Amino acid sequence: MTTISSTSTSAFYTTASAQLASLQQEVDSVDNSISTGNQFTTASQDPEAAAQMRMLQLQDTEASADTASSNAASASLQLADSTMTSMINDINQARELTTQAATGTLTDAERASIGTQIAQIQSNMISLANTRDANGNALFGGGVSGDAYTTDASGNVTYVGAATSPTLPIGGGQTVQTGVTGPEVLDMTDASGNQTNVINTLGALASALQTGGSSAQSAASSALTSLSNGLDAVTTAQTVIGSREAWLSLNAQNQSAASTARATEESQVGDTDVSTAAIKLQELTTALQASQACFVRLSSLSLFNDLGS
Amino acid sequence: MSSNLLSIAASGAAAAEIALDITGQNIANATTQGYVRRSANDVEVASASSWSTANDISLSGVTVSGVVRNADPFLQTEARNTASNTAGAGATVSGLTDVETAVEDSGVFTAIGTFQTSLTTLEQNPTDTSSRATVLQDGQTMASAFQIAAQGLASTQSGLQGEVGSGVSQINTLASQLATINSQLSASSGGASANPAITTSDRASLMDQRDSLLDQISQFGNVATTIQTDGSVNVNLGGVSGPPLVTGGTTNTLTATTNADGTETLMVGNATVSLGGGSLAGNQSALTTLGQISGKLDSLAASIATTVNTQQAQGSDLDGNSGAPLFSGTTAATLTMATTDPSAIATAAAGSAAGSSDSTNLTALTSAIGTLGPASTMNDILTQVSGAVQSATTTQTTLQTLSSAAAASLSAEAGVDLNTEAVNLVQFQQAFEASGKVMQTASDIFTAIYNLTGT
Repeated sequence: MTTISSTSTSAFYTTASAQLASLQQEVDSVDNSISTGNQFTTASQDPEAAAQMRMLQLQDTEASADTASSNAASASLQLADSTMTSMINDINQARELTTQAATGTLTDAERASIGTQIAQIQSNMISLANTRDANGNALFGGGVSGDAYTTDASGNVTYVGAATSPTLPIGGGQTVQTGVTGPEVLDMTDASGNQTNVINTLGALASALQTGGSSAQSAASSALTSLSNGLDAVTTAQTVIGSREAWLSLNAQNQSAASTARATEESQVGDTDVSTAAIKLQELTTALQASQACFVRLSSLSLFNDLGS
Repeated sequence: MSSNLLSIAASGAAAAEIALDITGQNIANATTQGYVRRSANDVEVASASSWSTANDISLSGVTVSGVVRNADPFLQTEARNTASNTAGAGATVSGLTDVETAVEDSGVFTAIGTFQTSLTTLEQNPTDTSSRATVLQDGQTMASAFQIAAQGLASTQSGLQGEVGSGVSQINTLASQLATINSQLSASSGGASANPAITTSDRASLMDQRDSLLDQISQFGNVATTIQTDGSVNVNLGGVSGPPLVTGGTTNTLTATTNADGTETLMVGNATVSLGGGSLAGNQSALTTLGQISGKLDSLAASIATTVNTQQAQGSDLDGNSGAPLFSGTTAATLTMATTDPSAIATAAAGSAAGSSDSTNLTALTSAIGTLGPASTMNDILTQVSGAVQSATTTQTTLQTLSSAAAASLSAEAGVDLNTEAVNLVQFQQAFEASGKVMQTASDIFTAIYNLTGT
């Protein structure tokens, strides 16, 4: 009696309990993934997917900072844009006045009055050039705190801001300059070919008209050309700002498309496919019930039940 | 010599009774751990014919020569080795899972991302004090996350080292118990039969204990065993080429030494033990991985601190001073913020005046961190850990299957099946009753002959 084909009684119980426990564990795991909505509870269930999910979530965080930067840049550029529109209006008004002053029929007193108005426009331009951005820094000063231009005793202005405007990363490896510097907007060439800026040109014109005399009319005539150059300078700068705003909006669209793509990928990689999981759960519970029924039936099969009856 | 029907019947009844006893013993021990199914070894007793009477019939019944212990040494070794490997894989999985939890739950990855994002946000307005304070706060959070990870790893490490220590003392206790059993087996070997499977009932019980001790030792470390003719066993730890742990009645002590890198070296005497299975092997392997992960975390923490501090030194802070280091510490456990002053972040180019809104150095800093790629490095570390857990789990599942199969075939051979015992019970009861019938017949024959002579 050394050959045995059947398994031992203790092995039957050990195997049955191991099989039932393993099925129960699978049911728990599927149940967990359905109730949490996540396919994985620990990274080791699928290291590759977990690594992908981490990087996607990191990109989401970075993208939210990039969007904030993009919005800040956009706000700053819009402010610059509308400020430059005011500047253009001022210059146009100055040109109209200068055209009047250039006609020979005006008296000195009338020219002096026009000069006063132009002086008013000049001071208006100075305050526009020293506009602050949302952070309280000079809008046309390359982001420096305080004013972009200082005014000396004789009314001439000097640029004291940074040489370049600050740049901000706006996502996707792209950067944008959040503004333009004063010289980029206001620097111009006057009628005689000298390098100057719009504010000083207005200042010189205003004082020439207020002084009066024969030179006042010729100053007004040459100032017409100069102001036209100044208008070109500001308009050009405004075009640059406009194209930057367009670029920002295009980039924002790209970022938003990328963000949607990321969300889709995150969902594919990490979310539970509920219908598949539900079917799997049904399959597993059926198997578990069958195994339990099987165990009860088999364990009740003992030869001892039939002995002696 | 003539036969004696009555004594033949008596021997048959005695043998059937012993067989019933053994069946009862098997049923009683059906669930006893390590019990190997017994059966009686019946031998026919027949006297040799004498030279003068050819074809003489001289039958003397049956005798029980001993107890058969139905253990196949090959199956036992197979079951023991696969169980040892499974225990090793289980210990690896549990150790590595602790490592995974320590590194992942610390939130280092998220904290690195948040720190980088706060630097990006600072670029929108480099002079803003609250943005600067956020950068410092997120830097501190990142440093704390590194510290938490390092603490988690350190406690996992000491836990694993403790497991190695207790495993070693368990092996030593079990080895000395095995040596005692060996001595008893040697002492009782006088009655051992030529066939090692047939033995006395008390030696069978000693052999059960011997095999059970071997199973327990191999749960901690894989062993190679050599069964001697007297039933005692010699054990080599870590396989056939490993140092001897138990030789007959003597044992060698196993010791564990903690190395500088936190791993454990096992020695028997002066010989190093290299384990291929058992929970100690699993602990050792988890400790090795833990050391690697811990080293990588340290170098990541150090590289972040160095990159930030180097770039700081090349810029000018909000007060117009040259940038001082933001981080101190060179390991994950010691990384901390060196300052709590928001103006200490050197965002402007070197030599800039106080309050400068220049962001040259901040842009350089974010770009330097971007080049360093700490989040991506951390992602690699996390992937390495979780990959190690996954592969260890797969190995464990495979080994578990092998081990279950080996245990099932051993159990089929050596375990007690109650249905078989029920059949045996009926069979031996019938044999006993049949022997009684033979006695009755012998008595009837005797009476018949007696009556013949009496009249």
